[in-house]
Parts: sequence; C-alpha cells; structure tokens
Amino acid sequence: MRGRAGAVRPATGMAFAAVLYLLAPVFAGSPYVLFALTLTLCYAIPAVALNLLLGYTGLVSLGHMGFAGVGAYVTALLMKNAAVPFAPALAAGTLAAGVVGALVGIPCLRLRSHFFIIVTLAVGLVLFLLFNNLDWLTGGAAGLPGVPRPHPINLGFAVVDPRRPVGFYLVAATLFLLVFAVQYTLVHSDFGRSLAAIRQDETLAASRGVDVFAHKLAVFALSAALAGLGGGLLIDFLRAAAPQSFGFLEDINLVLIVIVGGAGSLFGPLLGALLFIALPETLRIADTYRMVLFGAALLALALSAPRGLSGLAAAAFRKLRPQASA
Amino acid sequence: MAAILEIEGVTKSFGGVRAVDGASFSLAAPGIYGLIGPNGAGKTTLFDVICGRQFADAGSVRLAGGRIDGLRVHQRARRGIARTFQECRVLAEETCLDNLLFAAQDKQLSRELLRMLRRACPQPGIVEEADRLLDLVGLRRLRAEPAGNLSYGQRRLLEIVASLIGRPRLLLLDEPAAGVNPALLDVLRDCLRRVFTERQIVLLIVEHNMEFIMSLASHILVMHQGRVLEQGPPAAIQASRRVIDAYLG
Repeated sequence: MRGRAGAVRPATGMAFAAVLYLLAPVFAGSPYVLFALTLTLCYAIPAVALNLLLGYTGLVSLGHMGFAGVGAYVTALLMKNAAVPFAPALAAGTLAAGVVGALVGIPCLRLRSHFFIIVTLAVGLVLFLLFNNLDWLTGGAAGLPGVPRPHPINLGFAVVDPRRPVGFYLVAATLFLLVFAVQYTLVHSDFGRSLAAIRQDETLAASRGVDVFAHKLAVFALSAALAGLGGGLLIDFLRAAAPQSFGFLEDINLVLIVIVGGAGSLFGPLLGALLFIALPETLRIADTYRMVLFGAALLALALSAPRGLSGLAAAAFRKLRPQASA
Repeated sequence: MAAILEIEGVTKSFGGVRAVDGASFSLAAPGIYGLIGPNGAGKTTLFDVICGRQFADAGSVRLAGGRIDGLRVHQRARRGIARTFQECRVLAEETCLDNLLFAAQDKQLSRELLRMLRRACPQPGIVEEADRLLDLVGLRRLRAEPAGNLSYGQRRLLEIVASLIGRPRLLLLDEPAAGVNPALLDVLRDCLRRVFTERQIVLLIVEHNMEFIMSLASHILVMHQGRVLEQGPPAAIQASRRVIDAYLG
C-alpha cells in the first residue's frame, strides 16, 4: 500500500524516541560515550537533510556541509557577539542556511544532474573559502572560539543543563527527533510522493503535473535549512566554529554517511553517522587510517549491499519473518 | 462552442530542418483520432508542441478555446492534457495502485505543503476509482506489485489508466501499440474503446501500426512534411491517392 518507503509506525517512532532519551541515564556515568553519541547526532541531522535530496529526490549535493556552516556561523555570531540565547540563535542560523540554499538553488536547480553536482561542489568550496577568509566576520582559519553553551532549561519536573554532557545530549536528541519527524512527515506526504516521482522519472512527473523546478527548490531550501540546524548544534557542542568543520572532506564524509547508511531510508542517516562518527571516535582510529578503512568498507558495501546498511538490515529482517512481508 | 483542441499554423524548426511546417487542425468533438504519417512527418514534434515539451516557433495551440502554447508541461497537465510516452513511462518503484494514486493527486506545491502540515487524508473514493480502472485493464490482482515487475504490455496498460485517473480532457498516446505483442494488442484496443465510451474525451493517437489504428480510430489525420495532408474517416484515408503517394513517394 501507500508509503512503502518506510514501515515506521507511530509506536515504532515512540520506541525509537524512548531509546534515544534512555541512552542519557544509561551512559550518565561515562561522559566520553555521551560525547561520541552527541557528536553523532550533530552529524546525523545534516545527514538526514542530505538524505531528503540524495535519497528521496535523487539530487546529489556535494557541498552540503557549506550550508551547515552558514547555520553554524550565524548561530555562533549571534550567541557570541550579540548574546542571543541558543534557541533563537539556532532558529536564525537555520533560517539563514535555508535562505542561502534557496538563493543557490534558484540558478542551479535548472541545470541537469551532473552539472548540478559540479555546481554544488563549487558552492561548498566557495562557502568554505568565505568561512576561512572573512577574518573580520568568521575569525578566519582560527574560527570563532568560546561559543557559550545554552542556559539550563527548567522543564518543571527536572532541570536540563546543557553545560553538562547529559544535558547537551538531551538537547541534541530532541533536535534530532524533530528533524527525524520532519523527514518522516515529508516522506509520507503528497509532497514526498511528488519528490519520489521526480527521482524516478522527471519527465513523467512533469507530464503528471509536478512543477519539477519548484518542488526541487522547496526541498533544497528545506534541506539546506536542516543542515544549518545541524551545523549550529555542532558548533555549540564543540563550543567553537572552525572552517575545517565545513570543508570539502566533511562534505564527502556527509555523502558517505548517507550512502553507506542507506540513502532513501529513514534510519539510514543515523546508522551512517554511527558508523562514521561514533565508531572511529570510540575506537580512536587515527584520521589517516579512517579514510583507508572506509574506502574498503564502502567498496564492500557497494558490492554486497547497494541499498546501504539499512537496506541490509531490512533484508535480514525480511528473512527472519518471511511470511509477514505482505 | 470552442473545439477541444485547436492547432493553428504551428511551425517548429531544429536548425535547418522544419519538423513542423504550418500544421493546422481542429478536433471539435470527443472521439478517437489517429495521427499517422511517414517517418519524419513531424508527428512526434507536434505532440511535443501540444503537451509542452517543445515550444512552437510560430502558431497557436488552444485547449477548449484557451491558448496554452506559452504554458509549461506541468501547467498544461493541470489544465487537462495527459499523455503516454512512446518508451512507456511508469513509476517503477511504486506499486500499480500507487502509480494511479500519484496520478490523481493534486500536485500544486503550496497545497501539497499545506496538506503535509494538516496530515490530510486522500481524496474520498479515489482508491475505489483506482481499483476500478485497474479492473478495466485486468491489473487489479497486481495492484500491490511494483510497476517495475510488470511486463512491457502490462506497463503500457498501467500507463494509460494512470493518465486517465486525473480526468483529462485530452489524452495523447504516442505509439501505444509499439512493442506490444499481438494478443495484448486486442486488449489494448478494447481498453481504449472502453475508455472512450466511458469518458467521452479526445484521444489523439500517433501510431505506425496501420491495422491497429484504422480499426480503432473514427477519424484519421495524415501528416506529411510537417503539415496535415489529409483527414477523414479511415476508409477514405486508405483510398486517398495523396496519402498513398506520400507513403510510397
């Protein structure tokens, strides 16, 4: 029936949210694990954003961490220089990234797929150069250190203090669940179905009445905004905005996260982020070896599981329950 | 009352080649119309000009009296022009049913976004309508099957009913019989006849299979060198000296 793309029911969603929140008390005594998990969520948000393009619409963006950077620097500047609280600063960063995304999308989305990919690559590089060289605004290569953490949030029954690892993890988990809910709603909406049609056959989609350009622009701006949200969260977690966090290697890393995790699946981005962020972080694999190992992993995955980790998991799940697949 | 489709003096060149050279015709009443002509006569280009994939260099295209030649493909689709493709296009990853439901969906971006916020349910009765159309072409039992798993002929039938569910005023079919096996050809002919009886719309069919089109259409338009050379009922066309010369000459 409709919505074949994801078999996630509300109950599954609630369970997922519960697990995510429960990790906080479970690992309350090991701040290092919480650090790795929080960092993973900070990357999983832009990964979900990219998944909307790559997995659901069929648009490849090779400069997506650039949009994350726009959100990051706007958030950092507002918090550091204008003493704006975290929530409105992050909202402004999200909005700014969305606007930049729309401005980039208007000329570029008219290009055909491979030209579009090249242009997104260029956009990512240009944004990186801006972060790296606008010393008066972004602090140049040194970046913007000393971004303050959010103030404690009083929920009535408990106080969440984002200055402590558990507190920030809870903030990150909440924002990730929000972005995940956006992804879920979009995929299961008529808008999402139009995007899926664009991915499968643009010519057919147009002849059925889809305004291909407008739809692409809408999802591109939304995706850039969500990436900006992730960027803002990331720099507040690291307490510093640095251009290297939004450079070319990070762009490629993000694409790998989405593809290896499983493009076009709801949980793929999170799985990919766990593999690419949490695993090397906890195993303390040096950066140089990381790329070698991941190159091999990617090759193995492309050969054995073209739909990524989540595709592999789904296939295993179907094998366990052969008759329940209807 | 204005004609359903009216083409006037349409010209379209590619470099030095005049693919369509002042073609004019008017389809006043609902019916099954065949558009034939030798290779290179300009049929496909004219099709593209009607549905908006190509813009004419000169001339006008009117749908029910309103000019549509400046509109883009999706805008024309929303005004009631549906088409099928020579290469047969369906959403391969979606099920047969979802192919139809997608075709029926209102695809105006702003309304789609609003519905996303309101979590609106699908149009009432649309699943029943989709099932009925699937029944019409014998695909009801495959409704949950991804369209990519269907045979070529089945995909053709699916493509046709999917273009119908949006209730178009004009359905353009680009070589529907191409690549379809003879047994399924009868099913296809039967299906198109039933579609016409039920909907009373204009079906304009480009076709190379003469036997197929002559037995199906009530009216034939013959294109030659970018113009409409002759039109009339199949028997008159088959007897026409000019048509025979165009094909053989």
